[in-house]
Amino acid sequence: MNQGRLAVNRLRERLPLDGAAIDRFVARHGAPIIEGERATFLFRGEADEVRVRHRVVGLPDPLPMKRLPDTDLWAATTVLPAGSRVEYQLETRNGEHYATFNDPLNQRVAHSPMGSSSVCAATGYQVPDWVHHDPEARPGEIVEDALHSKSLRREQPVKLYLPARYNPVLRYPLLVVHDGDDYLNYAAMKTVLDNLIHRLDVAPLVVAFVAPRDRLREYPNHAPHARFIARELVPALAERLPLIDDPQARALMGSSFGGVASLSTAVRYPGVFGSLFLQSASLVFTDIGNDHGGGPAFDPVVKFVNRYRAKPTAPVERLFMSCGIYEPLITPNRSMVPVFRSAGMTVKYVEARDGHNWEDWRDRLRDGLSWLFPGPQKFVYE
Amino acid sequence: MRTVLLGPQRFMTTAGTALRSLGVEGPVATINAGWEEREDVVDELDTVLGGDTRHLRLYHRSLDVIAKDAEFGSAALAFRDRHDALLAMYRLRLQNAMDGVYAVQRRTREGDGRARDDHPAHAALDDSIAVVRHVDNWYGTELKNLYAEIDAAAPIDGSGVIGWHRGELAELLGQSAAVVLTGGHVGTLLRTLRLFAIQLPDEVPVIAWSAGAMALTERVVLFHDHGPEGNTEAEVFDRGLGRVTGVVALPHARRRLRLDDRDRCAVMARRFTDQHCVLLDDGTALELTEDGSLPLGARILGIDGAVHELGAANGSKAVNDAPGGHQVMDGRGPGS
Repeated sequence: MNQGRLAVNRLRERLPLDGAAIDRFVARHGAPIIEGERATFLFRGEADEVRVRHRVVGLPDPLPMKRLPDTDLWAATTVLPAGSRVEYQLETRNGEHYATFNDPLNQRVAHSPMGSSSVCAATGYQVPDWVHHDPEARPGEIVEDALHSKSLRREQPVKLYLPARYNPVLRYPLLVVHDGDDYLNYAAMKTVLDNLIHRLDVAPLVVAFVAPRDRLREYPNHAPHARFIARELVPALAERLPLIDDPQARALMGSSFGGVASLSTAVRYPGVFGSLFLQSASLVFTDIGNDHGGGPAFDPVVKFVNRYRAKPTAPVERLFMSCGIYEPLITPNRSMVPVFRSAGMTVKYVEARDGHNWEDWRDRLRDGLSWLFPGPQKFVYE
Repeated sequence: MRTVLLGPQRFMTTAGTALRSLGVEGPVATINAGWEEREDVVDELDTVLGGDTRHLRLYHRSLDVIAKDAEFGSAALAFRDRHDALLAMYRLRLQNAMDGVYAVQRRTREGDGRARDDHPAHAALDDSIAVVRHVDNWYGTELKNLYAEIDAAAPIDGSGVIGWHRGELAELLGQSAAVVLTGGHVGTLLRTLRLFAIQLPDEVPVIAWSAGAMALTERVVLFHDHGPEGNTEAEVFDRGLGRVTGVVALPHARRRLRLDDRDRCAVMARRFTDQHCVLLDDGTALELTEDGSLPLGARILGIDGAVHELGAANGSKAVNDAPGGHQVMDGRGPGS
């Protein structure tokens, strides 16, 4: 009976093993090996130590791997609940030399501005089908635009998404996306928009993708940035494009520090936007003192969030929040939900068994966009 | 007056059979504005209907009007903005009213058994549903006022372009032995029907499915329990042509409604208690009786939340027999 025993443990029982037997084992099972709610990471090679590096709150990081006696195979098993998706790398130590790299036995990688990571998907996790190019979905268009910002004292590029069948006679809602290039490059947001609009899940809308120049300065509650978004970008787009002239048809979006930028802009300019879409927003705060543990970059964030928590306001009517339960920001995000609700905003909050990464944010796009900009599905009866 | 309501035609095509059963001789006018920019892709439709068709092209005509009549174009945009704002307010009120219904319903159900005769609880449920009806009626009244205001500000009857199209459409309809309304975007369909003041003569047989069937009713109700944003409440959208009375048409009911959630379905049936909530699923074909009633066997939502066949052994009878016929039909539902 092999049921219930891990493949790597069954292998251990067959020791000693030659290289060919291990080759066959790895070829047969791949890596990591997903068995029920457990994941076994594998590595082959010579090293003094091998460890799995990840950022899953609740699991030991690093997760040490053990060598199977008299082999070059290393393994570590951990719990991985159904539906989970974890990004990780492997780390080896040879003497004083450390190396960190993607899992050579796993072809599945995710990309981000920081590079790439290996992906471990548990039982039940599936990449949503609306993430992939659908030849039936008529594509929208990305138009490169720019405007001179007095607030930021520079020429600010903006990428504009115009939906398929864009018609200047009609009028569209507007979504402004922080870290716009990253959403396009790492969250497949153009493809997602094309598909969700095609499926009638999301209303045709105009999306302004805006990239920062100095993200750590501009995103944590930065007055010139907020002024640029609310007083320069939105009016300029309203002049150039057929947009619905109503706060309810305007939303701000961002992940991580981009979430803070979205919230702080809305707080500085209440009533300009009707809704916010915050993904894993870095809403770090302290209940007493200033020791937040996030480093200097978080100082302005904590100052802003503490001030907001002391006197919450409702700068928008509707707020969609998502967060990965394996990321450190899960506690602040959970804590902010009742604060936002008590301020009078309608909040929809979703969690995923994922971390602080672009594919998590990509996978939540349908939930958020369809709630904020519901498509005409209710109108169509073929 | 002969009217046939069909289920969706995508997977089970019955329109041709229905048309033949009516013994129609002569051209068939088609209204497929709900297909929007695909309105002219009619090869399949022509094949099903036998080829002798007159496509009214209401959607493309409406684009022509917008392009040529600037005054109407801006009035239409203004109307859409105000209608959207009204809908947003309606949805806000509706959601709160429905939350109240479900909360009372849960409390009432929790009391069942030990408090079956808890009249205040049942009265509370009735009253909470009456609140929903009040919100529906408020929306209907506001929408009517909105139409009146817009019509007064920019009378469409005075538009030369619209008048020209209306004349041509009247001629096309006058030559037609039957009219077919297809599915598609029911909002677009209703807008174009209204723009061109389409009237379907009683003596001309009509076949309609999905959005087309909804457009024939007095009051068009939108619904979708499985949308990406989760459960949303059925909402009154607009008046239809009113050719079919006493009916809320529910195309794709199996796919779009949580029919296994009897509490939810019961609320829907009770909310529209003066009308039959009729399920129009694949394969459904309902020819209305001479007096415009639903035929026996039509599948409807009962106030017990179950699906019933009209005229079945549980005492169902036709909707137009008497005001409040729905309640007569189901009482408090089998087994209650």
